[in-house]
Amino acid sequence: MKRPGPLLTLLAGLLLGLFMLSLNATTGTKSASSTYKEKSPGVTASPTPSRTTTSPSPSPSRAAAPQGVYTGRTDDDSSAVAVSLRGGKAIAYFCDGHNIESWLKGTVKDDGSLRLTGDHGAKLNGTVRGKQIRGTAEVGGGHYAFTLAKAKKPSGIYRANSQVAGARIVGGWIVLPGGKQVGIVTRDGAPSAAPAIDPETGAVTVDGQRLTAHPVTP
Amino acid sequence: MTVDPNAATQSFPPSGPAHRAPGPARYLVPALVAAAVAVGLGVYGKVHDPTGTAFNLAGFSSTGAVKSWLASTAFFFALVQLVSAFMVYGKLPGPRWAPALHRWSGRIAFLVAVPVAVHCLYALGYQTYETRVMWHSALGCFFFGAFSAKMLLLRSQRLPGWLLPLVGGLVFTVLTLIWLTSAFWFFRTFGVTT
Repeated sequence: MKRPGPLLTLLAGLLLGLFMLSLNATTGTKSASSTYKEKSPGVTASPTPSRTTTSPSPSPSRAAAPQGVYTGRTDDDSSAVAVSLRGGKAIAYFCDGHNIESWLKGTVKDDGSLRLTGDHGAKLNGTVRGKQIRGTAEVGGGHYAFTLAKAKKPSGIYRANSQVAGARIVGGWIVLPGGKQVGIVTRDGAPSAAPAIDPETGAVTVDGQRLTAHPVTP
Repeated sequence: MTVDPNAATQSFPPSGPAHRAPGPARYLVPALVAAAVAVGLGVYGKVHDPTGTAFNLAGFSSTGAVKSWLASTAFFFALVQLVSAFMVYGKLPGPRWAPALHRWSGRIAFLVAVPVAVHCLYALGYQTYETRVMWHSALGCFFFGAFSAKMLLLRSQRLPGWLLPLVGGLVFTVLTLIWLTSAFWFFRTFGVTT
């Protein structure tokens, strides 16, 4: 028990590690602070005026804004649709797995209605009712109706961005409950069916290069 | 040597022979701590939901680049470790401050590696989806166990002369493999970028 040096070294490493971890955890919760409110979508929030709201009188329906990911298929079964909601914002991905896809963005109103828009005039409207979203989409000249159900990880929307051999690669995936995937990879604007991702890690190999697809949240 | 099934637990590996052995604790404790650290990190990496992200350092394009440079720094100091260890053991001519160089380069290498490991475990987790990643995950956990063992062994006196070089060499080898399966791979795949 002569030399304290090695122990101090280990201790310093441990403290540094814990410090970094807490730093990560705190910065992490900042961006995801609203996920904790997930519990009560339909119930009128009684005792929890959310601490983060700056307005002096937080409206109860605001605190009960729907959260999470909803996935499903269009009624004609041609395409998959997923919507991710957080903090009153929504992002949606519509994908037929071949050549029709659209990323859409918008807001969730207090009454649970969604109105999202995307490039090339794509539109998605819907209403959140408990654990379901019912709505319609207009993408690539087609009109679709869909019903989505609330899904848990690893179901959801994933996106990867990269540059492979000079081409700009954008990949989008919807992982449905049960593990089925619908995805499109666009190479310099040209869409084609996407290889499957590992939903646990987001790892996917596109044109021989390994990319990571990240879950998409608003 | 016959094995007595009723003997007191002495099941630590035979690497610590009964060389004037005053109690197996001084091998057993480092070995157990090492195992606990390695398994603990691995379990955390596996059980904890990888977040996919963590904070980035300013001036770098991605966390991958940050980690690669930090890991390379650690690897550089590990090389210093190797050379200074030879000096300490008199196998290479070295200055009188070689022991201090060995201690401090080791500390820096370790402390630089810690944030990298925290990011790996926090954001990416223990993964096995391909060979490189699998080895990197396993060796990464093993490294911190082996390093803990090395630090704890340093505190014991009268160890067999070959033990510290062996464990030190192991730590160095594992760090090299970790670097090859991560930063080296990163630089080869994405180019040497910041």
